[in-house]
Amino acid sequence: MADMIDRRRILLGGAAVAGAGFVQINPDFLISSAYAQSGKEMVFLSAENITGNWDPTAHTTLSQKNIEGYVMGFLTRTPMKLEDPGAVVYELATDIKLLDPHRLQIKLRNDIVFHDGKPFKAEDVKATFEYGSKPDRPAQWYPGPSETLTIEMPDDYTVIVDTSKGGYPAHLFIFLASFLPIMSAKDVAGGPGGPLTQRLNGTGPFKFVEQRGNATILAAFDGYFRGKPAIPGISFNFVGDSTTRMLSLMNGQASIVERLEPEQVETVKGNPKLTTNEVVSVENKYLWFRCSKPPFNDPRVRLAACHAIDRSLILDLLGSAGHASANYVSPVKFGYVDLKNYPAFDPDKCQAMLAEAGFPKGAGLPPLEYITSVGFYPKTKEYGEVITSMLNDQGFKVSLTVLEPAAWNEQLYHRPGGGPGHMVDCGWSTGSPEPDLILRTHFHSSSHRICGVEDAEIDASLDKERNAATLEERKTILQTETMPLLASKVPALSLFTSVMIHAMQKDLTGLYIYPDGSIDASKPA
Amino acid sequence: MLGAPNGRDGVRSPMFVLSFLIRRLAQGAVIIFLVSLLIFTLLRVVPGDPVRLMAGGMAPEALIEEIATKMGLRDPIVVQFGRYMGKVVQGDLGQSFVRPANGAATGGASFNDATRGERAEVLDLILETLPMTLQLAATALAIALVFSTALGVAAGLNPGGWIDKLAFYVSSVFISLPNFWLGIVLALLLSVKLGWLPAIGYAGYSYTILPAIVLAVELSPVLIRTLSSAVAAQMGQSYVAIGHVRGLTLPRIVLNHALRNASVPLLNVLGVQFSSLLGGVIIVEYIFDYPGLGLLTINAVLQRDFPLIQGIAIVTSAIFVLINILVDLAATSIDPRLEY
Repeated sequence: MADMIDRRRILLGGAAVAGAGFVQINPDFLISSAYAQSGKEMVFLSAENITGNWDPTAHTTLSQKNIEGYVMGFLTRTPMKLEDPGAVVYELATDIKLLDPHRLQIKLRNDIVFHDGKPFKAEDVKATFEYGSKPDRPAQWYPGPSETLTIEMPDDYTVIVDTSKGGYPAHLFIFLASFLPIMSAKDVAGGPGGPLTQRLNGTGPFKFVEQRGNATILAAFDGYFRGKPAIPGISFNFVGDSTTRMLSLMNGQASIVERLEPEQVETVKGNPKLTTNEVVSVENKYLWFRCSKPPFNDPRVRLAACHAIDRSLILDLLGSAGHASANYVSPVKFGYVDLKNYPAFDPDKCQAMLAEAGFPKGAGLPPLEYITSVGFYPKTKEYGEVITSMLNDQGFKVSLTVLEPAAWNEQLYHRPGGGPGHMVDCGWSTGSPEPDLILRTHFHSSSHRICGVEDAEIDASLDKERNAATLEERKTILQTETMPLLASKVPALSLFTSVMIHAMQKDLTGLYIYPDGSIDASKPA
Repeated sequence: MLGAPNGRDGVRSPMFVLSFLIRRLAQGAVIIFLVSLLIFTLLRVVPGDPVRLMAGGMAPEALIEEIATKMGLRDPIVVQFGRYMGKVVQGDLGQSFVRPANGAATGGASFNDATRGERAEVLDLILETLPMTLQLAATALAIALVFSTALGVAAGLNPGGWIDKLAFYVSSVFISLPNFWLGIVLALLLSVKLGWLPAIGYAGYSYTILPAIVLAVELSPVLIRTLSSAVAAQMGQSYVAIGHVRGLTLPRIVLNHALRNASVPLLNVLGVQFSSLLGGVIIVEYIFDYPGLGLLTINAVLQRDFPLIQGIAIVTSAIFVLINILVDLAATSIDPRLEY
């Protein structure tokens, strides 16, 4: 049974050397399912394909993160519920404690084995952290590169993360602990191109069996420390077409499907054999401005565009697939607050900003391209048309380019000079309460991920919140300085928070679905 | 055209068959070469840089150029094509740009990653999926032929009668049904509501039937009309009247004589229909998530997987050429007067 801890206690403690405590949660709450008793394989249909490289540090692809959720072990898990975004459940760790602002001690379970039989020890955590934080690892989830980290192993089941060399606080690893899958030191030692790329090897409830075309086959792991799961196996399939996914669910071939269109929710609700699960996700959908090229290199033009957009109309269009939010992170993320200065629909302010920037009523603005995708996120084309129309109403000259996901993905990221188009639609989802997985990833000048903003003031504020000595102090800086600053400079406009809608066979009712779409199917027999 | 020396009783001599095959295969090779050149060129002039898809959206420009140069993708198209065909004639269709050796459809790759898994051979991917599509096509063809023969022959034997009108209406309705719509409706009806057939994916032969029915509906109208008009035309021939005079029964006249002669135009139509079948397979396999060449094609196009698209184009055009050669050979065997 996991130890019970209360994160608020540390926050209230406030001292830099306060121990990290967490909300005590019984992990058994995660699943209570009749399906688990039925002994049937669970067939999951995913809307997104995988990368073809099993190395968890080589990608940021959500579907593959979801597969890792079944197979890999994590130091902790974070249910990320609206009512308590910061709650943490211990998994491979038994205790996480701040020794001082730059040293985090992690105590580990001593009864865990990897799927290949290797006992789980501190060396695996050390190898994972050191490998994952290497500057050449594409996923780049860590707060600093490997040379800024020192990982000590006082014994086989204790790890101390020392961030002194990097100058950033060690508490950043508290939330990351729920997001970084722990790899085997033996696999990591195999180096680039080694076993990490060829298969998943973790300590989770399901072990990787094989990739069969578009199906990833998993089997219940006999040696899982909470007992072998009752669901004997999972077939995780990429099926690109949402109608096909729905038909498969309706005829009973699929157990669970993801990313329902709002209209499909109604179909499911009318079917007595099926049920839906709606959860406010970790994903916000954004309109990203290309901040390094005109006219959106001027924050006033960006702000004018934001004031031209009535987000309530977009939410009306999305129906159950959207949740109102007014910040750059989802309400299930640490530090979320409804920002008072978040730009609202206000045509007068829009015109004032345009005039101030030298484009009265849009005169002199160049033709602008807004790039969006169709086929992956719900209703992107539809609300893209609404946004285009609203911007044009205020004098912008916007044309909408709708691309299928592969072409859109090719156009998405920042390039020298700004990248394709002037605005682009994209969501960002990370399965951890850690806000910097979005804020720093997108808005620090060193990143250039999509919007390419370079702003010393934003950088300083991001560094300040990251370097805060305590979580409580960090939360205050985030809510009163960093997030309001972003809302005033709008390198992007967060349009809404996605509601992750899954449909499933009724006997799967009670299955716990995390806000990033990963699923806990580990209920033992 | 060259003459067609016949053996006794109209049977083609081996020399004729050999010369026919050599000539037609040579023509076919030219067609396949031209199709390859066309596809190769088009893929390189359409928007969408495959290197960016391979390397990932976050890849810096310098890395994109480095990979592209290393792969020869910045060479003139003629040079690239020459290099490619040099390998193709040795049976090497290259490696997929994005698919790993396990064949999964992939996306969201990352840049500058030395740990990328081994890439799949295009030929392996095609050889894994082609039998699935051939099974689907054969089933569709069988269903279409049985249905069309029954209705078309009956209509041809009763020109102007109610069954002829029925055949006309059925053909008109079938040809008007979009295959993606029919696929969804049949899946809802036969799989979701009635539970008679599985619909999505593949886990046994029964998964072929529903998509095959959709394809058969697409194929049938032309076959029905061809058969009904051909049978009607044959039944008006003098040998049919003479057959009656000689005391042959109607079934014997129809089965042994009229149908044999009516099958020549049917065979020619089948050759042409096969190309539309390959087109239909793409949509139908996508709707039913049927793991054949069609689904592979769609994913290859969506992922800008150039080597895979080129490989599929070469293989399908080769199949198309071979089918037409066989159809023509069969037609000349049935009616030795024909010359191709």
